[in-house]
Amino acid sequence: MGSLRPVDPGSTSPAQPGFVATSANWLINWSRKNSLWPMPLGLSCCGIELMGLLGPKFDLARFGAEAARFTPRQCDLLLVAGTLTWKMAQAARTIYDQMPDPKWVIAMGVCSSTGGMYDSYAVVQGVDSILPVDVYVPGCPPRPDAVIDAILKLQKRIERENPLGRLLGPAVAPRPEEGTGALDYQPNRGLRRTALDKHPHDPKARFPIDETPPRRTEVQP
Amino acid sequence: MTAGATAPRFAPALAGLEHRLVDSGDGMPTIEVARERLHELLARLRDRAGFGMCTLVTAVDHLPAEPRFQVTHQLLSLEHRDRVRVHCRVPGNDPWVPSCVDLWPGANWSERECWDMFGVRFAGHPDLRRLLMPEEYDHHPLRKDFPQGGIEPDRLYREWDRKRRAGWSEPR
Ligand code: SF4
Repeated sequence: MGSLRPVDPGSTSPAQPGFVATSANWLINWSRKNSLWPMPLGLSCCGIELMGLLGPKFDLARFGAEAARFTPRQCDLLLVAGTLTWKMAQAARTIYDQMPDPKWVIAMGVCSSTGGMYDSYAVVQGVDSILPVDVYVPGCPPRPDAVIDAILKLQKRIERENPLGRLLGPAVAPRPEEGTGALDYQPNRGLRRTALDKHPHDPKARFPIDETPPRRTEVQP
Repeated sequence: MTAGATAPRFAPALAGLEHRLVDSGDGMPTIEVARERLHELLARLRDRAGFGMCTLVTAVDHLPAEPRFQVTHQLLSLEHRDRVRVHCRVPGNDPWVPSCVDLWPGANWSERECWDMFGVRFAGHPDLRRLLMPEEYDHHPLRKDFPQGGIEPDRLYREWDRKRRAGWSEPR
């Protein structure tokens, strides 16, 4: 008790962290979780909701995360709000890499969580294909309340972290922080699809799913 | 309008140039023309019939019909308040049409988008690069034989990522 040393996240020994270490951990976590600096990566419609979230009505300042900065070097919370395309993915990954440790990621909206309704060649099917994501927020777009809930959940997560162990423990090789790499991860994959799924915007498209639509093949003279 | 009913306003401007009036079914006069005469026809429509604005250049993929692509120009005349549509069918193994950027500079990005999405080349275009997809992308997404989920949509990102990781030195 009273030592700063015994905090080692990788150790399997039953030794518990000492009092000073736990208190310091608590203090560091407390200050980190209450001053998250979000990097607003507003990519499409969810970005509008994000502006509402940062504005006076929903007032993210109550939870200590209102200081949105547009340079990743000053931020520790990446808020991916919107549809990430493969062309934009390089920029998003660069932004993530430029953020200093410790850093967290919230995927806001179904587009950034799973690709959403854009089952398309251009859209990343979930930002977790390229980034490690901490909290997913469903909704299209999610209400600002839901994002506030996600930030509270993230704060609870930060409370359980062990920053001193990372600082004082044996040097760990940098982890290649990656996404799952599961490109075609789709949570609803097992569901039976209907013809309406194939043509979500056309209420008249009622042909069975395996039948190809009638197509005019004759050459126009 | 049907071809036989009343001759369209621009008919005298096209005298002596081989073309066909077709019924597009929506009331807009529609001309079909071979690509060898497309540029001449567009130039005459602009200079002699007053179509000062090119509002749209796009294509239709008629797979599996041949000729496969139908390049569509839509022109607008502000002084006469009417529009005309020009169709030009091109074969799938050699899709190109003459560019009309020299007639309407505003067609520049329309033609670039058409090249990006359909793979139809515009001969004489000053800067025929892709408009939306990355420049190294191999496919043309709006073609009918392009699958909805794409062909290796993450290939360019993964290549970039591999290069980036190879040059990665600073640990933390
Ligand atoms: S989840 Fe909905 S609101 Fe958000 S970016 Fe996607 S489509 Fe837009």
